[in-house]
Amino acid sequence: MADTDNLTEENSVPFYPDHVSNEAKVVLGVSVVAVLIGLIGLFAPVGLGDPADPMNTPAHVKPEWYFLGLYQLLKYISKTAGAVLPIIGVLVITFWPFIDRKPDTSRQSYRNRSIGIALFMVVLIAMTIWGEVS
Amino acid sequence: MKITARRIQLIAILSFCLAVLFLIIFTGESQAGAGGQDQPPPGEVTADWSHAREVFSENLHRVLPYKFTAATLPPPEKDPCLHCHITGEETGLWTPLVRWILFGSAGLLFAFGIYRSSSVWVTREPWKPLLSRAADWVDSRYEISDPLSKILSKPVPSFARRWWYCLGGITAFLFVVQGLTGIMLAFYYQPTPEHAYASIQYIETQVNFGSAVRMIHHWSANGMILMCTAHMIRVFIMGAYKKPREFNWVSGVLLLLLTLGFGLTGYLLPWDQRAYWATTVATEIGAAIPVIGDLVLVFARVGWDIAAQTLTRFYALHILILPVVTILSMGAHFLMVRRQGIAKPL
Repeated sequence: MADTDNLTEENSVPFYPDHVSNEAKVVLGVSVVAVLIGLIGLFAPVGLGDPADPMNTPAHVKPEWYFLGLYQLLKYISKTAGAVLPIIGVLVITFWPFIDRKPDTSRQSYRNRSIGIALFMVVLIAMTIWGEVS
Repeated sequence: MKITARRIQLIAILSFCLAVLFLIIFTGESQAGAGGQDQPPPGEVTADWSHAREVFSENLHRVLPYKFTAATLPPPEKDPCLHCHITGEETGLWTPLVRWILFGSAGLLFAFGIYRSSSVWVTREPWKPLLSRAADWVDSRYEISDPLSKILSKPVPSFARRWWYCLGGITAFLFVVQGLTGIMLAFYYQPTPEHAYASIQYIETQVNFGSAVRMIHHWSANGMILMCTAHMIRVFIMGAYKKPREFNWVSGVLLLLLTLGFGLTGYLLPWDQRAYWATTVATEIGAAIPVIGDLVLVFARVGWDIAAQTLTRFYALHILILPVVTILSMGAHFLMVRRQGIAKPL
């Protein structure tokens, strides 16, 4: 509320029509991309593999790409640690606002967090690629 | 006054032109029927209306630069008429439908024009558009225009129009896309091990635009996870999760987990080898949790193995429970953003 108190006509736009039309443009752009993807799908569908066969395990079993990093982690650390670490990670991420409570005073904190998230993403993407090629 | 005078002038000119046209066309009859029995007295224009149509078409070329030739009738089986459609002789739907819509809307437009003109004529007041009448009708009963204009005129800070502020909006819109395409797929999908694979094959090969809809559903699911993560990274870097927006971050993390849940449950549904074994290893991640691991596994798979019950459970989660929870969480997320405004960057 503190951020919206001193909004004047100079430093803000009305929600309607300015902001709504802006968002409508974004929606239109995403829709165009979706329709183009659909057009590709008409000629090259997503397709299906062989029907599921519980008796026959394929050579390279992989989860969806967004679980690949985690799956790769589980392969190399002990089973308990591999399951507990992600849970702790998720809990830390969920309650991060209650851990990092100091208000920002300079853009230095932006930079610090950018470096932190960049390192995390590099590790995550590396794990995912490793899981994909292994 | 001036306008009225001009209108009268216009009407007079038009009616004069019409009269001249009719004269040119119908005086032709006396020449066409020159060899006829009873000649009318010269100079007198007869109006024999029984042959008006023939006379009209015969003499039309006098005022038009070309001559009409009679069109040949289509064969009876290729003449889809509205009447034949009603009597059941015509099986095609499009021709009568197009005719109803075309001529019906033209007729409605004409009737509306008559009503509007006569209403202005009678009341001597400017015409009030129908939409604003409807708005007044609703507003006089429910009084929504004040709160609505308050909602709509809420200022949005200019800094929030940079592109990285629309990542969350794109995620929300992709959720809408997922909902629409998911409903379309659910019309044809059958969540049993015997029929799931075949129904996806049916969607991809037989259903109109089925492969396009499945492609959009597939890729915007991936896009939703990417956009959700990108939005989260933006919020994290800019510190927008700090006081007073802690719970917005918490609900955002919940939404990311729900999105991943959609991914996990949706991935099994095609019931091919990739889906089956990906779900096998993904649920094994859950089984690694100490103490409750086996419970998680059994709950997720409804038993030790992935079978028919797993498929129906994942389907119910995917199309009923997760959407409801997600919509509620999204509502809370948006309400908090609305209430607290967008965090001001340093």
